[in-house]
Amino acid sequence: MDNIGEHPPEITPPTETWEVELQKVSIVRRILNSRKWYGADWWFVAVSSVLVVIFIIIAIFPSLFAPYDPSALVGPSFLAPGAYPPVPELIVSNTSSANSLKDLAVTSDQPRPTISVVQGGNSAGALNDAAKEIDNQIKNESGGLRLRPVIDRYATVEEALQAVVDGKDTAAVVGSDEFVRLKAQYPTLREGESIAGGAKTAGGFLLGTNDIGQDVWSRLLWGTRVALIIGFSSSLLSLIIGVPLGLMAAFIGGSFDRLMSLLMDSMYAFPGLILAIAITAVLGPSVINVIVAIAVLYIPTYYRMVRGQTLAVKEDVYVEAARSIGARSREILQRYIFPNVIPSVAIIFSVNVADAILTGAGLAFLGLGLPPTIPDWGIDLARGQRFIQNAWWLITFPGLTILLVVLAFTLMGEGLMEIFNPKLRER
Amino acid sequence: MTPIGFVALIIGVPALILLGYVLITGSTGLRRYILTRIVLTLPMVIILGSLVFLVMRVVPGDPVQSALGPKGTPEMVQRIREQLGLNDPMIVQYGKFLVQMFTLRFGNSLIGGHRPIIDEMSERFPATLELITPASILALVLGIFGGAMAASHRKGAVDYVWRIYAVVIYSLPIFWLGLMLQLLFGVKLSWLPISGRIDPIIGTTLVHRTNIYTIDAIISGNWAALYSVLEHLILPTFTLGLILSGIFVRLTRINVIETLAMDYISAARARGIRERVLVYGHALKNALIPVITLIGLQVAILLAGAVLTETVFSWPGMGSYLVERISARDYTAVQSVIVVFALLVAMISLAVDVIYSLVDPRVRY
Repeated sequence: MDNIGEHPPEITPPTETWEVELQKVSIVRRILNSRKWYGADWWFVAVSSVLVVIFIIIAIFPSLFAPYDPSALVGPSFLAPGAYPPVPELIVSNTSSANSLKDLAVTSDQPRPTISVVQGGNSAGALNDAAKEIDNQIKNESGGLRLRPVIDRYATVEEALQAVVDGKDTAAVVGSDEFVRLKAQYPTLREGESIAGGAKTAGGFLLGTNDIGQDVWSRLLWGTRVALIIGFSSSLLSLIIGVPLGLMAAFIGGSFDRLMSLLMDSMYAFPGLILAIAITAVLGPSVINVIVAIAVLYIPTYYRMVRGQTLAVKEDVYVEAARSIGARSREILQRYIFPNVIPSVAIIFSVNVADAILTGAGLAFLGLGLPPTIPDWGIDLARGQRFIQNAWWLITFPGLTILLVVLAFTLMGEGLMEIFNPKLRER
Repeated sequence: MTPIGFVALIIGVPALILLGYVLITGSTGLRRYILTRIVLTLPMVIILGSLVFLVMRVVPGDPVQSALGPKGTPEMVQRIREQLGLNDPMIVQYGKFLVQMFTLRFGNSLIGGHRPIIDEMSERFPATLELITPASILALVLGIFGGAMAASHRKGAVDYVWRIYAVVIYSLPIFWLGLMLQLLFGVKLSWLPISGRIDPIIGTTLVHRTNIYTIDAIISGNWAALYSVLEHLILPTFTLGLILSGIFVRLTRINVIETLAMDYISAARARGIRERVLVYGHALKNALIPVITLIGLQVAILLAGAVLTETVFSWPGMGSYLVERISARDYTAVQSVIVVFALLVAMISLAVDVIYSLVDPRVRY
């Protein structure tokens, strides 16, 4: 108790055993002891807290867990979850002596090799990467040899292979499984080595890829970051504004209290999402604006709770007693009101984070608020809806993740509520 | 008569008759309470309207500039600002805004054919009404039934199932639930259509009187249209209804549990009344009274949910209108839709309070 020194000496309360006992019952202790009081709820809090911690770690270090860059076009589009991308390999004519990409390198006075690929697959990307790598290698090795292939894109595998048969292209790069399927039709072609660049995506795509070949799983993990940033910052912002307002309203009272309460009650009654839509529509898309818009929604929640609890505590006899022996407002706040209000604020904060994540995802789904370059679950869902007919995984997994995160925060808040608020435990 | 006029008739006339009946036959206390409540709605409407005004005007950013985009020359921006009255002093703007709000004269749309916004809304509002009415009924039935069931099997398996249902539903993003229902029943099973209000071909045969398609179809006896309308209604209704039901399960459960602990229930139990009759006959009726007020507070969730549901199902209601006009940067339309939502919130909360006072005599002291 660092404020004991500020008391006039005659009313310094002696440190008696009951006071020591009281101090022992800290918040941490109450949580630990609560297991005995309320049965299963302790486990609720424990399990959901672990989940929350996992999500926070993912949000801070998404690159540790995500196999790919969330915005890089790493694979073929619309690859189903668990399916392996075809390994691209070099296909050359039987008469050709080349066996790998490196063999296609030429000196600068010769025509550059042309290589046919299929549009939309991962062959072109793999080919580009591999060619760049080989170029870097041979630059130092032998004089004058360069590999700068001209890439010809075709709509189907058949067209790409036919171009090699016709001699239009030097070689083709297609998925090995596709060549095996069509081998009989092209007896004059043979397989060369597989393209090294393909190894980069050989790990596969756990949850498939989206319409432009981004990895769904990596985007999910990176989406955690923006979701939690929005959830935490907006809840924190509304806490910082709402709690002092509630305290002030309860302490000042009078017309200030009445005016604030009227305003806050109206805001509370108004559909939050619609208010947030209006605010983001006026402010324009950015993460900060979304945070501000959502923060405005939850100010009344803190205000109402803090004001109500402060008024209730203020009327209590022990506060009256403290006031009558000359305790100042600051001390009453510190010693009596904060200990009563802070646990409730913590609970509301946890539930609020969950709510804010939901609202943020809703805004992003509507195409408001977040710039479309940010990997976000709501944006991914809105994009995935266009492909609902053929790509179920694009809309299933981001939504499931939102559910999981929101559930974790909600259960943590609810569990804490039951522990801190014995009055509610019968419910 | 405009479609919006029909809708006003359908909702307004029965409400006015009921209100008149209550005011004439009711006791002095009841009469005074209802009149006070009606008078108190006015400040609520003004505050909600002011909130909208505050958000749309005081928040930094020029709506006209953003509507015109980079193409807008300063002269064009000035002209439109003049036209919208944005150059007037703030207090004059505020006064005009309030007048607009009470007379429902919202002016013309900034984009497209520059139609009066009230005309556009009269096409959109009935669609929203047609969605939220069955959704609320579904949520109520499911919520009250589930809550009572959970309360009567307190701490049993049934109770836990309903509690988990309520928590999961609460955490479910409504738009995702809509997408999943579309995926399952629309795409995989092909049982139900996934977007729109009516099959476009059948739609041409429907005579639009109220723009509430169900009612239009029944009035004109167009059963093929009715079938199509109901078919299109199922998925959006379930999406919105299920999300709302989670809260109702919770509220009903808590209140039934509290009521079951009361003395009169113990007395009834002592008289040998069966548990089922006790819960559904004796306790539920009284437990529902506080639930009614709490339903009034869920209007916010209902309307916000409607916006997302309409977007997912391409349902041409107020919510999708709002989202469309935000993307089109139609500032006057956006402001008007939000004002209408505010009016709706105030009206529903008035209606809930009036119903509450009829059901619970303790309110009208």
